Amino acid sequence: MLQVPLTPAQISIVEAPLNARLFLSGPAGSGKSTAGVERIRWLLQQGVAGESILLLTPQRTLQEPYLELLYSPERAAGGEATPATLGGLARRAVDLFWPLAAEAAGFAHPEQPPIFLTLETAQYYMAYLVRPLLEQGYFESVSIDRNRLYSQILDNLNKSAAVGFPYTEIGARLDAAWYGDPAQRRVYADAQECASRFRAYCLENNLLDFSLQIEVFWQYLWPEPIVRQYFTRTYRHLVYDNVEEDVPRAHDLIRDWLPEFDSALLIYDEDGGYRKFLGADVETGWALRPLCDQQVTLDKSLVMSAEIARLRANLLQAISPSGKAPGGRPGPELQTIQTRFYPELLDAVAAETRRLLDEGLPPAEIVLLSPYLSDALRFSLTNRLSAYGIPVRTHRPSRSLRDEPASQALLTLAALAHPQWGIHPERFDVAYALMQAIENLDLVRAQLLTEIVYRPREARLSTFDEIRPEMQERITFLFGGQYTALRNWIMAYRESEPLPLDYFLRKLFGEVLSQPGFGFHSNFDAVRVAASLVESVKKFRQTLEPTHADLGREYLTMLQEGVIAAQYLEGWRTEQVDAVLVAPAHTFLMMNHPVSVQFWLDVGASGWTERLAQPLTQPYVLSRHWPAGRLWSDADEVAVNTESLARLTTGLLCRCKKRLYLGLAELGESGFEQRGALVRAFQKVLYHA
Amino acid sequence: MTFKPRPSQENILRYRGGRLGIAAVPGAGKTHILSALAAQIIQSGALQEDQEVLIVTLVNSAVDNFEARIKKMFENPLQALYKYRVRTLHGLAHDLVREKPGQVGLEERFSIIDEREAAFIRREAVNAWLASNPNALNDYLDPALEESRRDWVRRDQLPDLLDLLALAFIRSAKDRLLTPESLRNKLDQSPAPLPLAELGWNIYADYQRALAYRGAVDFDDLIRLALTLLENDPAYLERLRYRYPYILEDEAQDSSRTQERILSLLSGEDGNWVRVGDPNQAIFETFTTADPELLRAFIRENPHLDMPESGRSQPSIIALANYLIDWVMQAHPNPQAREALSLPHIEPVPAGYEPANPPDDPAAVRLIPNNYAPQEELEAVVKSVKAYLNSLAEVPEEARPTIAILVPRNQRGVEVIEALRKRGIEPLELVSSTSETRAAAGSLNHLLAYLSEPQSARKLARAYEVWRRDWRIESEKMELVRAVENLLRHVGNVEDFVAPRPARDWLSSLRESEPEQVVQELEAFRVTLRRWLAAVTLPIDQLILTLAQDVFTQPSELALAHKLALVLHQAAKEHVHWRLPELTSELAVIARNERRFIGFSADDSGFDPEQHRGRVVVTTMHRAKGLEWDRVYLMSVNDYDFPSNLPGERFISEKWFVRDGLNLEAEALAQLDALEANDAYAWYTEGAATAEARLDYVRERLRLLYVGITRARRELIITWNTGRQGDARPARALTELMNWWEARGV
Repeated sequence: MLQVPLTPAQISIVEAPLNARLFLSGPAGSGKSTAGVERIRWLLQQGVAGESILLLTPQRTLQEPYLELLYSPERAAGGEATPATLGGLARRAVDLFWPLAAEAAGFAHPEQPPIFLTLETAQYYMAYLVRPLLEQGYFESVSIDRNRLYSQILDNLNKSAAVGFPYTEIGARLDAAWYGDPAQRRVYADAQECASRFRAYCLENNLLDFSLQIEVFWQYLWPEPIVRQYFTRTYRHLVYDNVEEDVPRAHDLIRDWLPEFDSALLIYDEDGGYRKFLGADVETGWALRPLCDQQVTLDKSLVMSAEIARLRANLLQAISPSGKAPGGRPGPELQTIQTRFYPELLDAVAAETRRLLDEGLPPAEIVLLSPYLSDALRFSLTNRLSAYGIPVRTHRPSRSLRDEPASQALLTLAALAHPQWGIHPERFDVAYALMQAIENLDLVRAQLLTEIVYRPREARLSTFDEIRPEMQERITFLFGGQYTALRNWIMAYRESEPLPLDYFLRKLFGEVLSQPGFGFHSNFDAVRVAASLVESVKKFRQTLEPTHADLGREYLTMLQEGVIAAQYLEGWRTEQVDAVLVAPAHTFLMMNHPVSVQFWLDVGASGWTERLAQPLTQPYVLSRHWPAGRLWSDADEVAVNTESLARLTTGLLCRCKKRLYLGLAELGESGFEQRGALVRAFQKVLYHA
Repeated sequence: MTFKPRPSQENILRYRGGRLGIAAVPGAGKTHILSALAAQIIQSGALQEDQEVLIVTLVNSAVDNFEARIKKMFENPLQALYKYRVRTLHGLAHDLVREKPGQVGLEERFSIIDEREAAFIRREAVNAWLASNPNALNDYLDPALEESRRDWVRRDQLPDLLDLLALAFIRSAKDRLLTPESLRNKLDQSPAPLPLAELGWNIYADYQRALAYRGAVDFDDLIRLALTLLENDPAYLERLRYRYPYILEDEAQDSSRTQERILSLLSGEDGNWVRVGDPNQAIFETFTTADPELLRAFIRENPHLDMPESGRSQPSIIALANYLIDWVMQAHPNPQAREALSLPHIEPVPAGYEPANPPDDPAAVRLIPNNYAPQEELEAVVKSVKAYLNSLAEVPEEARPTIAILVPRNQRGVEVIEALRKRGIEPLELVSSTSETRAAAGSLNHLLAYLSEPQSARKLARAYEVWRRDWRIESEKMELVRAVENLLRHVGNVEDFVAPRPARDWLSSLRESEPEQVVQELEAFRVTLRRWLAAVTLPIDQLILTLAQDVFTQPSELALAHKLALVLHQAAKEHVHWRLPELTSELAVIARNERRFIGFSADDSGFDPEQHRGRVVVTTMHRAKGLEWDRVYLMSVNDYDFPSNLPGERFISEKWFVRDGLNLEAEALAQLDALEANDAYAWYTEGAATAEARLDYVRERLRLLYVGITRARRELIITWNTGRQGDARPARALTELMNWWEARGV
C-alpha cells in the first residue's frame, strides 16, 4: 500500500506525549483513523509494551484499518495490542471473574461455569421459549417471519443492556410512544413477556446472551476493585476509534475508565451515527470530549476530490427539507447508468467496471454498493464480474450452511447414519449427497444409483451387488466401488455407539470423504465449508449440552427451519484484498476504507432511507434521549428518514475519492417501479441545477 | 401529439379542481381523456416540487396503457418525470404500506403471497376445520338427504362450498377492517348464535395465523393495512395529501367501499378527485366487495359529466344496447332489478371526430331464436364460424376482421374450443398471463423438468430445444436443431452422452455417421449441459439465474428470470421439503398467474385483439371487458346463466344439498353484517340474504349481457340453449331484445 506522508496536524496527534488524553474529531476521510494507526505504531516505537495498548471499536470490522499494523512484524517487538469491543471485554470479564458475580446477578447455579450464547444459540433458546406462546396467540397482529420475531426480542434485550435501562421496561417504553393502529399495542406486552421469560430461563441455566454479558459486567463486575484493577493494570494506553458508533454503555465505561489510562486517543466521526439502529449514540459519545485533556479537530478531507466534495454538498442540500436548489451542475465525477431492467443494469455495471480496470484502476479501488444485497443479486453480480476475470470479494455473511451443497451432503449422510433420528432424506438429497461424496460422479448416474439403492421410508441403502448387472455397468464399477465403501462405513457406524454430530462429521470426513476417489479429496471449497459446519455444530453442542439431549437431530431440524442460520463469515481478514468489493452500503461504511470509484446500484430503491420498519423494536424510542411518554410521530419518522439518508449518502461520498456511478433500473430487482427519495434528490442535483 | 377532443371530452378538460364524477359508456375513450387530463395538469404548472398526479386504475395492463399515453403527450418525457404515478389499487396500497410497514405490524421486506398461495392456505384451513368439525354443518344440510348421500356431500361437496364461503367471508371481513381478534370480540358479544359467522371466523383466524407465520400478507391485507394506516396516522395522511394533489380514478364502477375510503381520505374533503367509470359495466367473475352503487352515488352527490359518445360499434348495435338499458330501467319484470343499468345512452361520435363509428348495418345483428340443445348450439356456432372463415380465405391477413366467441362461464369455453378444434379451427385462448411471461417461464420449466429427471432422453431433447430457442426463426438453423433434437431423443442411456466412459461414448460413435456440424453442435450443448447438471445443488434462485444466463438474451426475459428466482427462493423457504419436481411445478403455476408479476406489466401489455386478425378468440364475457372485436358471438344466453328471478329458475349458488335452498355464502356474509349492525331490526334473518343474493346476481348478469353486446363493432350474433336438463328458456332480456328487434322491422 502506498504510504501517504502524514500532515503536520496528524503528526502532532501521533506524537503527542505519552500521558496525553486526546479527543480527535472531524469528518470522515480527514485522516483520523490513519492518525490512530500511526499513534499505535509510534507508541510501540517509543517502547510501550504492545499488551498494554487497548484498541477499542464498536464492532470488529471497524478495526480493519488497524489490522495491517496489528499483524505486522513490528508488533513482535513489544507484544500484541489488544483489539476489543465492549462485548468482548464484558465476556472476558465474566469468564475470568464469574464467581464474583454469579450469585449476585441471580444465576441459579453460581457454582457451575457460565455458558455464553452466540447470536445463533440465543436465537435457538428464544425459539424454544416463544414457540409455545405463539400457539397461544401471542403476536397475532403482526406478520413477521418467526426467526426475525425471535431476533427482534433479543435485540430489545440487547438495547436495554447497551443503552442502560432495566429490561423490564422494554414493553412500557415502546407502548408509551405508540400512536398508530391500537390493535398493534399488545405486541409490546407480548414482546416484554417473552423477554422476561428468556431472561429468567437464562438465569436458571447459567446462560449469558449478549445483554446479560453486558449487564453482569457493568453492574456486578466493573464496580469490583479487583476486576477494575485487572483492566486498568493491563491496559495503560487507549485508542478508541469510531466513538460515535458505540452504545451508551461503552461510553459510560470509558467515562469511568478514562482517568486511569496513561494516554488515550478517542476518535469521533462528526458525520457518523450509522449504527443508531443498533443502539449507537452520538451524543453520549460526544460527551466524552470535555473529559479529555485536549480536543483536536481534523476538518480537511484527504479523500474527496474537490468535485466529489461539491457533489456531496449539493446532494446534502437536495435531500434536506429546505430543498434549496443546489448550485452547479455535476461534471464527470457523477455518471449515470440507466436501464429499463435490472439484469441490464448489472451487465452495464460489470462492463463499466471492466473498462475502469483496463484503464489501470486497481480492483480494490472500486466498490459496488446496494442498500440491500439479496442472494440473487450477489450471485448475479459476482458471476458477471468473474466472467470478465475481475477479482471480487463480497463483504457480507455468506450463504447459510443450509444452502451450501457440501454441508447439505454431509448432513444428508449424517441423517442416513442415524436412523434413530427419524429424519428420512428425500431421494434428491441422497442423489446430490452421493454426487458430492463420490468424486466425478455425474448427476445422471447419481440419480440412477439412488433410484435403485435408496428407500426413503426406511432410510435404507441396499448394496451395489444387489443391482442388476446391466445397471451396474451403466453406473460403472468404479463408482460402485466407492458407493460400497461409503455404504459399508455408514452401516458399520450404525452398529456402533453414536457420536456427537461434530465428532461424527470429522470421522466421516477423515475416514471416507477426504480419501482419494471421494468428493472432498481435492475440493477445497467443500473442505472449507465442512470445517465451518463442524465448528457451528460444535458450538451448538457445547452451548446446549446442559439443557438438551439428542443434539444432532435438533441441529438438523433447527437448520432446516432457519432458526439457526449457520451463516459464517468468509475469513474476512484473509480474503483477497485487491478485489472489487460488492457489499451493502452500510457494511461498506463500517469498513472505514475509502476508494476511488463507487457504484450505487438501485438508486431508486427505498431501502436507502427506510431502515426503521421493525414491528417489535424501535431504536429511537429505546435510546437514552427519548423523553418518557412522548409519542413517536410521523414527523419524527420523516425527520429520521431524511437525516439517515443524508448521513448514509454523504458518509459514502466522504469515502469516495473520484467518481460516483448511479445505477438506476426503472424496474427494480422484484419488478417494481423505483422512485425512492434518493433518486429524487439526485434528480434535483442533475436537472434543477 | 395532436388530440382533438370530442365535445364531451372538451368539457372534461375544462376541469380545474374539486370532485368530479364521470359516467362513461363502452368505448368512450376513458383512458385517453384521463391521460390528457393528467398531462394538462402537469403542463399547467399546478404541481409543486415533490407532487404527483395519482392515477388509479384496475389492472396492470391499464397501468402501462396510461404510462404510454401520458408520455406521448410530452415532447420531452423528462418534463413529466416523477410528475405522475399510475397504480392499481393494490400497487397504491403497496406503496402506502411499504413506506411505513412497522406501523401496521409488518417487517421492512414483508412478502405478499399471491392468490394461488392464498388459495392453498385457505384450503388447508377449510380442510382442518372440516376434519375437526365433521358434523357442524349438519343443520344446514337438506334433511331429506339419505345418510350415505350425506357422507358423500361432506366428503365431496362441502370442501368446495366452504372454500368459496371462506374466500367471501375473509375478503368481506378485511374490507370491514375486522381482524380475527376484533371479530372474535364481536362474536362473543353477539346476542344470538351465528353459526356461519363462527365457522367463518375459525377459518379466517387459522388462515391469518398461517400468513403471519410466513411473515406475509395477501392482496386484501395490503388494502386493509393501507386504510388502517391512513385512518390512524393523520400526519402521514397529511403528507400524502400534499404529495398527491390530484387523483384520477379509472374504472371507478369496480371500486369497493375500502377503495373509495382510501381515495376519499387521500383526496380530502375538498380535494381534487376525478372518478370515471361505467356503472353498467360492473361485472365480477369471483366474489368481490365492489359495488357500482358507490360510483352512482358519487356521481349523484358531486359535480358530474357524461361521456356518452363512443366510436366503437355500428349504430344498430348501439341501438340494441340502448334498448337493453331502457327495457331494464323501465320494464324489467322484477322492479328491484331495474337499477341494474342506468343512463346515459350510448351516442355515436359526431361527424368530424375520430374514431368514426362503423357504418350502420342492421342485417349484421342476428338474434337467433332457435331452441338449441347445448350441443346443437355449439355445432351451429362452429358451423357459422367455419363458413365465415372460409369466406375470408382470399382476404389478406391485415384486412381480416377480428372475431370472438364469448361465453358466460369457463366450462362452456372449454367445450367451444374442443368443438372448434374438431372442425379444424385452432382458436386463441385468452388467458390472464401474457405469452412472453409464459414462454420465458415455460422455457425454464423445461430445463428444470430435465434436471429433475436427468436420465430422461425426451426431456434432454426438450432442454436442447430450449437452449436453441432463438434459432427457431431461422429456417436453416432450424433444420440443424431438428436433427440434433432427434438424435438426443434417441440417445438411449443419457449418461453415455453426458459423462461417457471411453468404451461407450455416444458422441464419438456419431462422428462416423453424422455431419461435422451436428457433432459440433452436440459438443457445444454438452459443455453447457454439464454446467447445468453441476448447478443442481445450488439454491433454487441461483440455479434459475444460472440457467437464464444460458438461454435468455432479451432483457425482459432476464429480468423475469431474476424475479422468478426471487419468487421461487421464497417458495423454497416456505416449503422446506420441496425439491426440484415440486419447484418445477410451482414455476409452471406461477407462469400462469399474472399477479405475481406486478411491475413487469410494461412488457405484458394485455391482450390486443388487433394482433390476431382472422383468428377466433374464445373467452368469457367477463374477461372480454375492455376489448372489442369486429364480429362477436354471444352464447348460452338462457335463463340459467342470465336469470330474472322469475318462478322456475335455478340459481347456481343455491346448492341442492343445502336445506331451504339457502345460499350459504350469502348467509355467512349476512351473519357478518349482523355483527356490525347496532340496530335490532337489522338483525340476521335466515333466508333474506339468499333472496338478496339472487337479486344481485340477476343485476350482475344483466350488466354482463350489456358488456357482451357492446364488445361488437360490426357484427353481433346471439344464441341460447335449453341447458343441461333441457328445460332452460331464453333469458328474459334476450326475448325482449328479439321482440323489439323484430318489431323494429329490420
